[in-house]
Amino acid sequence: MTMLAPITLASSMADRVGLLWPELLLLIAAMVVALMGLSKDRTIRGAVGPVSILAVLASGVLALVTGGAEAAAAAGVPFPALAQWLKPMVALIAAGLMAVQGGFVDQALEAAIGRNAAAFNPLRAIRGEFHAFALFSIAGVMLLTTATDLIWLFLALELVSLPTYVMVAIGRSDRPGLEAAVKYFFLGAMATAVMLMGFALLYGATGSLQFDLIRNAFGAQAASGGIALLGVGGLMLTAIGLFFKITAVPMHFYAPDVYEGAPLPVTAVLSFIPKVAGFVGLILVLGTAGLTSGELPKPIIALLWMAAILTMSLGNMGALLQHSMKRTMAYSSIAHSGYMLVALAAGTTDALDALLFYLFAYGVTTVATFGGLAVIQRAGGDADRFEDLAGLRRTNPWATSMIVLGALSFTGIPPLLGFFGKFWILTSAFEAGQVALCIFLVVNSLVSARYYLRFMATPVIAEPDSNATPTERNPSRAPVLASVVFGLALLILPCFTGSIFGWVQQATDAPAKAQ
Amino acid sequence: MTLSPITSMLPGTMLASSDVPAATIAPEFAWLGWALALPAISALACTLMALCKVKGKLPGWLTVASLGTCFVLILKAYQSMPEGPIVVPLAEWMSFSWGPSDFHSLQAALELYIDRLTIFWMLFVSGLGTLIALYATEYMEHDVKAGYARFFAGVSIFLFAMTALVMGGNLLLLYLGWEGVGLASYMLIGYFFTRPSAVAAAKKAFIVNRIGDLGLALGIFLTWRCYGTIEYSELFQIAGNPPRDGPWEEALIPYLLMLGAFGKSAQGPLYVWLPDAMEGPTPVSALIHAATMVTAGVFLIARCYPLFLLQPDALTVVAWIGGLTAFWAATIGMAQYDMKRVWAYSTISQLGYMFLGLGLGTTFGACFHTFTHAFFKACLFLTAGAVMHGFAGQLDIRKLSGLSKIPGFRMVSWFALLGALWLAAFPFSAAFFSKDEILSAGVGSDRADFQFLGWLGLFTAGLTAYYTFRVWFRAFAGPVHFEPGEEVHAHGEFHPHSPRWAMKLSIAIIGIGAVLAGYPAYEAMFLHKENWVQWMMAGSTAVGGAGVVEQAADHAAEASSGHQVLGMSAHAATSVAGSIFGIGGILIALYLHLIRRSAADSLRRAIQATPLIGWIPGAAENKWYVDEIYNAVFCVPLWVTGHVLHFIDKHILDAGVVDGIGSSPSLVGRVFRPLYGGVLQSYAVTMAGGVGLILAWLAYTWLRGGF
Amino acid sequence: MVSHVLPLASIQPVVLLAADSLQSYAPVALVVVMVIGFCAINIIASMLIGPSTEGTVKAIAYESGMNPWDSARKRFNVRFYIMAMTFLVFDVEIIFLYPWAVAFADLEPGSAEAKLYLARMAFFVGTSVVAYIYAWKKGVFRWD
Repeated sequence: MTMLAPITLASSMADRVGLLWPELLLLIAAMVVALMGLSKDRTIRGAVGPVSILAVLASGVLALVTGGAEAAAAAGVPFPALAQWLKPMVALIAAGLMAVQGGFVDQALEAAIGRNAAAFNPLRAIRGEFHAFALFSIAGVMLLTTATDLIWLFLALELVSLPTYVMVAIGRSDRPGLEAAVKYFFLGAMATAVMLMGFALLYGATGSLQFDLIRNAFGAQAASGGIALLGVGGLMLTAIGLFFKITAVPMHFYAPDVYEGAPLPVTAVLSFIPKVAGFVGLILVLGTAGLTSGELPKPIIALLWMAAILTMSLGNMGALLQHSMKRTMAYSSIAHSGYMLVALAAGTTDALDALLFYLFAYGVTTVATFGGLAVIQRAGGDADRFEDLAGLRRTNPWATSMIVLGALSFTGIPPLLGFFGKFWILTSAFEAGQVALCIFLVVNSLVSARYYLRFMATPVIAEPDSNATPTERNPSRAPVLASVVFGLALLILPCFTGSIFGWVQQATDAPAKAQ
Repeated sequence: MTLSPITSMLPGTMLASSDVPAATIAPEFAWLGWALALPAISALACTLMALCKVKGKLPGWLTVASLGTCFVLILKAYQSMPEGPIVVPLAEWMSFSWGPSDFHSLQAALELYIDRLTIFWMLFVSGLGTLIALYATEYMEHDVKAGYARFFAGVSIFLFAMTALVMGGNLLLLYLGWEGVGLASYMLIGYFFTRPSAVAAAKKAFIVNRIGDLGLALGIFLTWRCYGTIEYSELFQIAGNPPRDGPWEEALIPYLLMLGAFGKSAQGPLYVWLPDAMEGPTPVSALIHAATMVTAGVFLIARCYPLFLLQPDALTVVAWIGGLTAFWAATIGMAQYDMKRVWAYSTISQLGYMFLGLGLGTTFGACFHTFTHAFFKACLFLTAGAVMHGFAGQLDIRKLSGLSKIPGFRMVSWFALLGALWLAAFPFSAAFFSKDEILSAGVGSDRADFQFLGWLGLFTAGLTAYYTFRVWFRAFAGPVHFEPGEEVHAHGEFHPHSPRWAMKLSIAIIGIGAVLAGYPAYEAMFLHKENWVQWMMAGSTAVGGAGVVEQAADHAAEASSGHQVLGMSAHAATSVAGSIFGIGGILIALYLHLIRRSAADSLRRAIQATPLIGWIPGAAENKWYVDEIYNAVFCVPLWVTGHVLHFIDKHILDAGVVDGIGSSPSLVGRVFRPLYGGVLQSYAVTMAGGVGLILAWLAYTWLRGGF
Repeated sequence: MVSHVLPLASIQPVVLLAADSLQSYAPVALVVVMVIGFCAINIIASMLIGPSTEGTVKAIAYESGMNPWDSARKRFNVRFYIMAMTFLVFDVEIIFLYPWAVAFADLEPGSAEAKLYLARMAFFVGTSVVAYIYAWKKGVFRWD
């Protein structure tokens, strides 16, 4: 071997750096933010949140400006235009999610310092790390969209996941938080192992780690009597491993415990960021086996089909029984993954567009709802019982309206964005002939209305229990601001669905032809 | 005179389609958006003031100013607008798509569709709106500390919605305006919300209108389904060139739109809400329930005329409903004692004429009559309002007499006389020409049923003249006598208080407007110019484009030589017969209600004593018992069904089915609960078990012979 | 610069084992046999050859020369871990630096490519510096 090969490789990597400016920006911002969080100056520490939000927004703008689909296609990215939709979309919603963190991280500590009751202790302060990890996670999702091979995919997925483990662990220093983090970490590691096993089998079946080469190999196999067992097994294990990220059956068990154990704003992050990563991963991996051309091996379709039905149904049924809002949201997020799996099982380009749009609608709704829920606190942490919402109408009408809007959008009530997400998935799945899945989706939506109604009814109708200790008000205005912005977007954006749909449709246009 | 019969070509020689000129996009007219924005701003401001409990007349003046500016804008548009229709894009609004074709997307931009019909309608809507708002600033002054701002918020919302309805560039904006005017109407009818009758009337108006609105909504849905668009500019091009094998539902579209029009314009079976709507303050009755909103149905059909031309039978239905409603409402109007109610029934009746005109194919006649009617009816209502204002709510013509002799009410009385003459279609009044235009189209038609409708309309004109002057001779002429109404709050002797300048000015301007509304007809008659209203219709959707106008001219020439009625041209015959009926009606009223008032009572007693027709006066006074029949036929069965369903829901569905289903998820949940014990190891085992099951299943299918 | 794109995966070991031939797994089997054999021989040999004494000293755990006392399952000061992790971070960096250094030597001095390589490594080392500053600020190196 001469030295020529690695040098060639490195040069080609240099071309791809052009696709990664948003990620680089986030990386630098993460480092800056981590250091800012340790500053002795209280105002600098206070600027950590705003700087993170600005960095995320800037990365979204950067993605809009720089993201060349041609360059991505030349680099062998399977869906070259995907990044142009996903990166700004994720940036926008992530900015909202970052705003929801306001008033939670280090709040008790900072309040004590403000009262001169405590000195600043860098070992105790976690604000910088917390935001840095969030930025890393967001960078991971962005990185994922330009993945060209399994290794890139894996590294990006881990970059998404690992910081979220830490965020669960450090966000709350009490026992349930640590318990949740440990569960999340170990089960996540297990799922990753399953996924890696799938990668290994894929490599064994096709002899390559690169998406376009894998696709060629699968194409050749399919042309001569179907994809081999090894390949099907690889796809299946990879998919199951990714199911962990999207909380789909059978990898959903951790979700209720972890979502409940994590602080409320982290729950919001968990229900969006890893989900996007998981679905992008599924699209990329299954795309090698003919996801959009409807040529997926039958067992994979069957797997998606069963997973969709079970995920929707178990998610919604589980949510009916809960008393904790975060736990309800965990089951609701499981159910929404089920809806999105319907689109994946339908397996047309149109369905894929519907899925990508649904992620957006789901993200906007998540920010609106969680931002509204984050306005009340108990002892500097989140208030998690439904009863805590009682009487919110009077104390915070804005947050109440946004929670109601969010719950309506989650249910899929017509004028709101969530309706269009569901509607598009339904029409595309219907046109793909998946009538049974459509029926399941509709019935499940109906069931879901029951627990979403609790989010609407409790703050509006219920009166607070006079014996219970009253909830406190979140000292930060950022969550309610984010909630209002995204809640109004739920109302306004439906008027622009035409343009948004056009944008989404471009994202899956012209999958790179097999070289 | 080239006015009459577009009619005669109607069913037989009907053009296959209309030919509306293509609209040009004209962003330079974007300033017209202010005509939409100003009332909206004023509505918002008035709402804010209502919330802040502003005391003073500021809301009224703000509304007058914004509506006046709106009128000026429309005037400017009238002067500067080009020949053909234009589309003025304002903003992106609705743009949904879920697939590649036209039928997979719904586009409805915030845009204006301006043709002469739009301008024509907006001229009298905004003009009358301004004047009536001015009138209301004084009329509502006793409410300054209570609902003054709320009232003007309602008026502003109404004007905003009406502007959206008329100027909107697609059916969705029209629908928005349609529901908006319905909402404003509901709010203003129920303005005195402490009065149960007002609340009931508001609800009745709203519910009856829902039936019509359902028709309109379904019509819009079907339009989109059949033609793939609801934008006028595209729709009329498609309708001018209809798809060959359209779906069968296409034929339903005009009938559904018609239902909407009948609801809003109080026609046919859906008229019952309008008389009750007189519970609202009188300016509201004048503006919304006489001059403008109730003509929205006429506008809808005129606007969508290309769609109606595709279904000739639909226009026949419109003609019949209009003609019969005109007659029916006139018979009820003859027996009412409340001045505003008589005017309400006359409104229904006159709207019937307009629909008759639309159905007969003379959109020009219909629109001309809408135009003249708007002025003289507003004038009548405003004078009625002045009386009501001055006599503490008294409107009963049995308790008012000789008002023209009371100082301060002389001007009001003479303008009331003017309005009455116009309503009675006295020869050479504006309404005489416009009504004539409609009726001659019927009388001169080739079709027997249209001829019948024409003669029925002429007879109804006689009835109209009678009941109009019954009111005027009773209330404004004769010996002075009055009893105050219920709203007396001052102690001691009652003194009527006469209207001041704002009310008088409005009445005067509108009265003069009513006179001037006849100017286009005079001009056409004496100067042999084209009637201005007809010119305004040409090139708009109402006529269906130049092609039809030329055809009309041909037919007019033909008609003047060919079709003879009573030895005269249809037009002349109608004029003569109309004059005879009108003057005859006035003379009868003069005898019965001014010269010998006791004769009226003895006539009534004589009729009541006659066996076969003895029931008629009482039944007419009770509006032919329509409300009672509706109550028995619709309300009571619905009420019973509602209670039955409630019983089933409560004791069978809720108790049995829902609770049963409701407990099933928790049962299922209990089955699965052990899996969610919270122990890490068991989660891992369960997840691994899931993976194992899937892999085992994969292996099993493979072993059974592959996939 | 080479214009065509060479896949990252091509640095993967070269010979693609065809999954259908068991023969190609022979080297793996050989390694497995050797590993098991080596362990077994060592254990058996020490059992046979070495002296065999029993006693407390022998039974105690080997702790890098320290005398172990108390239970091993007790809580250590968390600073040990932090220190160890910090060490690991910089330790692992060496693994990246080494191949870079080897490849860098072959590049033409002063060429654009060399500068690019240098800049990249500078960025990488820069991130480590940030990590170092972070650890310092966080108080990792303070032991009180």
